[in-house]
Amino acid sequence: MNRKQKIALTLVVTISIGLFLGIILIVMRLFDVGIPKIAFLFPVVIAGSGGIISITCFKKDKGTIIFDERDKLIDKNANLAGFGAVYLYVIIMSFLPIGILGEEASIPVTWCPVLLIGAGFCQAFAQSIAILIQYGWVGKDVEK
Amino acid sequence: MSKSNLTNNIRRLRFENGQMTQQKLADKVGVTRQTVIAIEAGKYAPSLPLAFRIARTFAVQIEQVFQYQDDDPQVSASDTNI
Repeated sequence: MNRKQKIALTLVVTISIGLFLGIILIVMRLFDVGIPKIAFLFPVVIAGSGGIISITCFKKDKGTIIFDERDKLIDKNANLAGFGAVYLYVIIMSFLPIGILGEEASIPVTWCPVLLIGAGFCQAFAQSIAILIQYGWVGKDVEK
Repeated sequence: MSKSNLTNNIRRLRFENGQMTQQKLADKVGVTRQTVIAIEAGKYAPSLPLAFRIARTFAVQIEQVFQYQDDDPQVSASDTNI
């Protein structure tokens, strides 16, 4: 497993945990359990921790050649997947308030930065999934 | 990264060339070991320059390393008529 795969796997795990916690918090808020708004930062921090872990824990790959034409192709496809996912995300998130609240309703301006942060996570998640799929999830690099 | 009709003899050629390791072949052709593994397994079709570099490493013709099987037999038949 190369550095890029380790980073991708870390991001998928942390963003998934963050998403799961976020959904739990939203459900709890819907049932008026009494959760402060600041609690919603917790899943964002968890999801964002993947980036910090990646920078600090995963060192550069060993060997003279660490990047080649296959890596370039995988990067290109992963970027495309990330862009496509963000595009889809923005479309869905733009129409979601109309669908849920109705045409006459208004939403707080805090919706904009939330949308931006969500787009970032969406891009990272889709790109990581694409990297893992293209490399073959665990990278069975066994000498035969 | 789709599987193609491309097959190869890289593994056999490696063993015929003094039990060459995947890492040694990767270093010689300028790619990572993961890429050599993917090519050997038929999971990645290399670019034409890389295919030539692999063939030259083993000092053989490119057709002796890579073979392409056509799905459509009519295409092959028409090709031979030209």
